[in-house]
Amino acid sequence: MLRYLRLLGQWALDWIGALGRAALVWFWSMAGVPQRDDLKLLVKQIYQIGVLSLVIIVLSAFSIGAVLALQGYTQLARVGAEESVGLGVALVLLRELGPVVTGLLFAGRAGSAITAEIGLMKATDQLSSMEMMGVDPLHRIAAPRLWAGMISMPLLTLIFNAVAIWGAALVGVDWLGVDQGGFWGGMQDGVEWWDDIGKGMIKAVLFAMVISWIAVFQGLDSTPTAEGVSVATTKSVVYSSVAVLAFDFILTLVMYGEFK
Amino acid sequence: MDNVHSMQGRPSARLAVAGVGDGIVARPRNTVGHSNQVTDNLIEIEGLRFSRGDRIIFDGLDLVVPRGHITALMGPSGTGKTTLLRIIGGQIRPDSGRVIVDGHDVPTLSRGELFELRKGMGMLFQSSALFTDLSVFENVAFPLRVHTDLPDEMIRDLVLMKLNAVGLRGARDLMPAQLSGGMSRRVALARTIALDPKFIMYDEPFTGQDPIAMGVLVSLIRGLNESLAMTSLVVSHDIHETASIADQLYIISDGRVIGEGTPEMLRDHPSTMVRQFMLGSPDGPVPFHYPADNFLDDVLGDA
Amino acid sequence: MIRMRTIEISVGAFVLAGILCLVFLAFRVSGVGVGSTSGSYTLLAKFDDVAGLRVRSKVSLAGVTIGRVAKIGVDSELGEAIVTMEINNDVKDLPIDTGARIQTEGFLGGRYVSLSPGGEDKTLKNGDTITNTQGAIGIESLIDQFIGKMGSK
Repeated sequence: MLRYLRLLGQWALDWIGALGRAALVWFWSMAGVPQRDDLKLLVKQIYQIGVLSLVIIVLSAFSIGAVLALQGYTQLARVGAEESVGLGVALVLLRELGPVVTGLLFAGRAGSAITAEIGLMKATDQLSSMEMMGVDPLHRIAAPRLWAGMISMPLLTLIFNAVAIWGAALVGVDWLGVDQGGFWGGMQDGVEWWDDIGKGMIKAVLFAMVISWIAVFQGLDSTPTAEGVSVATTKSVVYSSVAVLAFDFILTLVMYGEFK
Repeated sequence: MDNVHSMQGRPSARLAVAGVGDGIVARPRNTVGHSNQVTDNLIEIEGLRFSRGDRIIFDGLDLVVPRGHITALMGPSGTGKTTLLRIIGGQIRPDSGRVIVDGHDVPTLSRGELFELRKGMGMLFQSSALFTDLSVFENVAFPLRVHTDLPDEMIRDLVLMKLNAVGLRGARDLMPAQLSGGMSRRVALARTIALDPKFIMYDEPFTGQDPIAMGVLVSLIRGLNESLAMTSLVVSHDIHETASIADQLYIISDGRVIGEGTPEMLRDHPSTMVRQFMLGSPDGPVPFHYPADNFLDDVLGDA
Repeated sequence: MIRMRTIEISVGAFVLAGILCLVFLAFRVSGVGVGSTSGSYTLLAKFDDVAGLRVRSKVSLAGVTIGRVAKIGVDSELGEAIVTMEINNDVKDLPIDTGARIQTEGFLGGRYVSLSPGGEDKTLKNGDTITNTQGAIGIESLIDQFIGKMGSK
């Protein structure tokens, strides 16, 4: 019994230690005078992290939008409210599915790639040799990826939402025959600029920070072996996904919950 | 490896091997051997102590690296030789002891001072540690771009000169993934000499190389040390290769130096551990058998 | 190795695509800017029950959206709700006896204010109050009425 308590305590201390290290990584990456090369590095990372994720984001968005419209239509048709399908789909996407699904996909595709790349650089002494040459790896490797993630993911979320709604429109209006005016008009009437789009984007920005942070940290903290990189990559995806879902719950409660 | 031995005595061969005629940045050349070198010490380590967790890595280590010479660090696996290089380079802080590099006490240096010191040092890693997303040219140009404000044309010239010194000027546009192990190391060496450091540390440069690549590296290390009047510190397992180019050897075991001197001196060293290491004997103070029960009992025990 | 120029172009295109999506979401999806381009004026209306009506609910005339609910306040003395509405400027000259009712959109829909014009010559001006109002009809009162009717048989 005592042994388990001890293990639990050790685990908790390890976890807090990791959190502390992660905070230091964040701080030292964000601090630091911008240098000549920084913009170029940033652009390159936005390409790797953002542009290369477009395919999966767009494909998923279209499918999800279409499916939502299909399912929504079926259920709403029962009570004669098919025209609300536009509004319903839009609200679900903007408030919840857009940021969350984009976050999960991003964690899986871009987050894991970041962790693996940094882990590999650590295992092959590239980070050490950079340090020996007087270059700060946090500034050169970590910071561009952190910023690129924070810029790319909200953009990807916007694209996801737009494509999904368009997909829903294709299914709803062109295929299932919902009246176009009703579809879009109902949506426009009911969707609020700040309440729905704005708050959804706040979620996206927060998720972006969390996912990028976890991905970069897990790479830097990995054991410098092949196995270590693999473990770190898995941790990165799992922790990011759990964090996205947990924060989504909390944010939804705070932003939309009505406390009497 | 007699060829290497005989090359040492012939000035023209040394220069030719290093590719000096083709244009390494001009330095006072040492064509007559080391006798007119200043023999003060570039590095002095006294009473170094360092542990990682429960493991004591260094327990009162003393060693001295004289300027202008090639010093080798050898010892059984896991004795922390790479850690020592990192301590010298300021990446790791020891628990106690003095580490003087070129007059500076490394563990006490500030970030800025360390940055300056590192400009004059180079380190060649075992895995060559080339940046995988940059081409060979860009890898070698990296330190130049970071530490200097030289215009692109000058950087280009310098990079080509360095690549030429290691014989890989034609490979400048390849990516690290396309290089063989030996070629990677040579590119890494070119990168290390990009800023003309006075001191280079080599971490296991000969490990896993075929004989030709080995020969190339050996001659490069020797040649560069001579022609650029550098100080070199080589960490290695390879007795043969290392002994052929090192001016003096240190054998490290159990966190301290157990033998030092020229290769010939060490072969007749009083310590059996040193002799076992130098001769590569399978059994001796470092035992062949992992601790286990009596053999007969073990085998017959389950019968 | 992808050239730097290609990378820069694609990143630019990526950012542009994101902004375009934002614009799409803003205008086509949430209807920002849909409605009056000509400004609006304020009308007030008092109701005894505005259950379910919210700020930004529609104000419509003959089924056409002509404005939005800007504010919902309370007059605690009289126990009434005061609804402030922003009406598009191109809908002027509403007669002074215009009626305002709170109705439900469809079966499950939200509440909105429905205006029906009266017959007087004098018209409502900016800041005027509509007095001919009928509050929201909740399910409970419908049931009460129904039971009442049943009871009197």
